[in-house]
Amino acid sequence: MNNQPNMKQATQAVNPHGPRPETSQAAASGPQPTLLGNVYFKFILFGVALGLIGASQSLGIIKASTLGYLGNVLIYAVVALGLNLLLGYSGLITLGTAGFMGFGSYLAAYFTSDMDISFWGALLIAIIVPTLFGVVIGFVSLRIEGIYLAIATLCVSEILLKTFEEAEELTGGMQGKKASYPNLFGFQLDRLTTYILLVVVLVLIMMLTYNLVNGQMGRAFHAMRGSEVAAAAMGVNLLKYRLISFALATAYAGLGGALYAFFIKFTYPSVWNINLSLYVLAAVVIGGMRSIYGTVIGAFVVWAVPDLILKNLPIIGKISGVPYIFNGILIIVVIMFYPNGLAGIGNTLKAKAMAMIASGAGTGPKGASTQADTRTPGSPSGAAQSPAPAQGDAAIRPGADSGEGVSK
Amino acid sequence: MSQNEAILKDGETLKIDHLSIHFGGLKAVDDLSFTVRDKEIFGLIGPNGAGKTTVFNCITQFYKPTAGAVYFRDNKNQVINLVGVPVHNVIRHGLVRTFQNVEVIKELSLLDNVLVGAHIDFKSSILSQALKLPGAVREEAAFKQKATDVLEFLEIADRKDEKAGGQPYGILKKVELARAIIGNSKLIILDEPAAGLNDTETMDLAAIIRKIRDAYNATILLVEHDMRLVMGICDRICAISFGKFLACDVPAEIQKNKLVQEAYLGEEE
Repeated sequence: MNNQPNMKQATQAVNPHGPRPETSQAAASGPQPTLLGNVYFKFILFGVALGLIGASQSLGIIKASTLGYLGNVLIYAVVALGLNLLLGYSGLITLGTAGFMGFGSYLAAYFTSDMDISFWGALLIAIIVPTLFGVVIGFVSLRIEGIYLAIATLCVSEILLKTFEEAEELTGGMQGKKASYPNLFGFQLDRLTTYILLVVVLVLIMMLTYNLVNGQMGRAFHAMRGSEVAAAAMGVNLLKYRLISFALATAYAGLGGALYAFFIKFTYPSVWNINLSLYVLAAVVIGGMRSIYGTVIGAFVVWAVPDLILKNLPIIGKISGVPYIFNGILIIVVIMFYPNGLAGIGNTLKAKAMAMIASGAGTGPKGASTQADTRTPGSPSGAAQSPAPAQGDAAIRPGADSGEGVSK
Repeated sequence: MSQNEAILKDGETLKIDHLSIHFGGLKAVDDLSFTVRDKEIFGLIGPNGAGKTTVFNCITQFYKPTAGAVYFRDNKNQVINLVGVPVHNVIRHGLVRTFQNVEVIKELSLLDNVLVGAHIDFKSSILSQALKLPGAVREEAAFKQKATDVLEFLEIADRKDEKAGGQPYGILKKVELARAIIGNSKLIILDEPAAGLNDTETMDLAAIIRKIRDAYNATILLVEHDMRLVMGICDRICAISFGKFLACDVPAEIQKNKLVQEAYLGEEE
């Protein structure tokens, strides 16, 4: 049955020495075995850098409050990565992030404070229980699409929020619920070591996400978003992958919520309202859909830049509500000019730089034509152009074109 | 299962049996029957609105037929009725299709687009893929190699790491073909493969379709408007009009057929 034509030729073509277009996640998805280690090494390096920044607080280089903001960034980055799986990769939407994150935080707080369950046990519960809820929403998502799905998930989130307020015996009601820094194998963490724990979790989640999106599952998500009919024709079970997508997003949210409880040591209802869901959405859009580093950068922009930078500026810093204005303007600017987010800007610059280096060496065609048909295959300037048309229609329209052509 | 065996004779791959589908009062396909033989390039033609794509959608279960059956000798050599099979399971029986408007995923590289076609062939669990266990890594590498081979076969491997978004139409058509053939399906259904291609590309396509049939041991069923392509490559052709069967024969006979001529050109005075 194995009639592979041109096997010999093909084997030679596997290792192109020509410039690889490093313009996208997708391009990085096919790393050669030698590069593979590099990807994970970069994640670890990124984590070490984050850890060192936090540790510098003990030397007085950064303020204690700064460590708090950075910790928040790490927590919300985990949650935003989950939303990116859903929104960026699968083309589905949720406005229920806050509810599930809050759910995770209450579960973590309740089971460690009231039930004396270990850190690991509580963490597991805080991930699994919201995930089960997420699976149910996944089922619902097969019936309702787009804006209606957003409304439905928002309702679930608001119901959860109401529950946090009313179920006083479990949640402490409006007073909120206390938690404490985690105790790992009998070793009591303090603020800084908890921050380090957050870094470790984020890096692990980044690696996990990378593995997931650059494999069979990631391609199924892409297919589901890009063309439901093609996905179905290629054997992608839409129900199964929607469930997986929602399960992952809520698992990340639950995990983020638990981390919040352990780092902030407190959880109360008003944190978990629609504003938070919108902030997480903003982080994904600003940072870059389908970009792992972009999501973390987006979380930094949304949760740290207003408080760490904008508030210290003259005049601007005095305006109340600066974070809202800042994020609002940023979202509009990013959607209008850079639909691929801040990560997209970085990739475009990198591609341009590569093209310049290549044409400087005289290998690339001068004055590369904008006609895609006429470009030299694999030429660096051609590669640099390729992201441009893709950006145009990569605007956020989750699920907008899903469902077309599928008649039930 | 066993009672189906008698329905398809030896050497027959697909049998459309009294197929009908109604949308409201409209009979888009009306009591249509034809049989496709093994390793055949079989064309389905008809004037605009004849219901050709609807027939394809009924075969691949995107539409559920109102009446009739679609018998298919699957990759385990069993004859099954495809009607009622969930749409995402059709490919598991060895039947794959392309689309009239190319349905490639713009944000994925050409290679990844082709790998979507191998989705059902992945055996390692999601967990082992998430943890990059050795088995999953080997599997991914093997399929990447296979996808590269397919792209090489269609002579577009030099672009494999480029994104599909922004590629010329002819390339995207080939990507769709590559995605269809990577799974070694028994029957490949092509919905207007030449639509939007220029003359040279169409000639090129005819050669490619034959090459696919021979190299991948596949049966090919296609809907096409381009008569030169259809008459040039098809072993047999079925002509339909307004959802009804007109004729099924070799190209030369179809061209001579009165009913077919009338359907295309109108009745003679």
